[in-house]
Amino acid sequence: MSADQEKLESVKRWLLAKKPALGDIDLDLDLIENRVIDSLGFLDFVFFLEQLVGRELQTDAESVKAFRTLRSLGDDILAEREGAET
Amino acid sequence: MAEIQTPPTRGISALLERITEMSVETYYNPYKMFEWPASLPDDQWWMTPELMTVANTRFAEELPTAQVMALSKWESIHFYSLNVHGIRELLLEVVKRVQAPGYDEESEFFHHFIGEENEHMWFFATFCLKYGRKIYPNKKLAFSIDDVTPDIESFLVFSRILIFEEIVDYFNLRMGRDETLHPIIRQVNSIHHQDESRHIACGREIVKKLFRHIVTTQTADQVQRAQDYLKRYLVASIHSLYSPSVYRDAGIADPYELRAALLHDPGRRAADERTLKRTLDFFQGNGILVGEVDIQ
Repeated sequence: MSADQEKLESVKRWLLAKKPALGDIDLDLDLIENRVIDSLGFLDFVFFLEQLVGRELQTDAESVKAFRTLRSLGDDILAEREGAET
Repeated sequence: MAEIQTPPTRGISALLERITEMSVETYYNPYKMFEWPASLPDDQWWMTPELMTVANTRFAEELPTAQVMALSKWESIHFYSLNVHGIRELLLEVVKRVQAPGYDEESEFFHHFIGEENEHMWFFATFCLKYGRKIYPNKKLAFSIDDVTPDIESFLVFSRILIFEEIVDYFNLRMGRDETLHPIIRQVNSIHHQDESRHIACGREIVKKLFRHIVTTQTADQVQRAQDYLKRYLVASIHSLYSPSVYRDAGIADPYELRAALLHDPGRRAADERTLKRTLDFFQGNGILVGEVDIQ
């Protein structure tokens, strides 16, 4: 398993620990629409992701798209890229 | 000492009228009132040590005093930054309701509230930019509160405003009176406390009125969900005080580990319960929230 995949699994485990009833989370499930994360839990989620990727994240209205699904999180936040800024 | 002075009144209209009169009588020009020093020394307490997020824990003892002092600086800039963002959010909601149907009684007060909150936002932002060279970004994301009726939404909006103001006032009241703090820090906090006392007095009556309304017009399940949301909002508000960005700026090696450790520290639970005591006394004392609120 690549480092990026391991991070994605960590994210999934973190979310499932908060919402165990889900059982599993599809890569394309809309996490916000399906209330897997909501506004009150968002800050803790961001800090978890920051710790995972080792950098601060921006959470303005534009960048919220990156938080919508596991796939977008993997592509836009977790992927190791030089000079990545989200 | 932390009681909010509510003028004697029989109903919300009389209270709002009296509070509005007080706003006019005590009006000050914030743009002239503060004499901002060009800079503030780093080797001072910027925040009352007992109010810091490391207070009541081993970290306050183990970290070098200079580092705890640096933490007090960045924690104070973060606290005022939270105020800037919190005020922006509440202003947006109140502006939507001023002179709108259903708010005939409150609108005159809202005009003063909006003006005063705009000024508070200005002096908090000024403090951050002048002495911290930044406002910490808002990392909360405001998703809409879906699946709620307009009445529930209004109840939640004014409850959130009241909770925000109550928590901030806990800090303002103490820092405004702390003579070990620099005069400009004391002044910013005491002026804000003075205005917020009026806002909180009105906010409590508005929340009580809106709660009375929803229990008669909404289903028990809808009311229960609103109450559950508010309990989570209280916890999230407390958690937002613990910022890894602040810990990083104070030179803490692993800011996320520190945040996690503090959020699970029994000493912090006791401190956070003190911060929320007056807020919970109001919400639970008036039957708006029922049962325990687990802060951690």
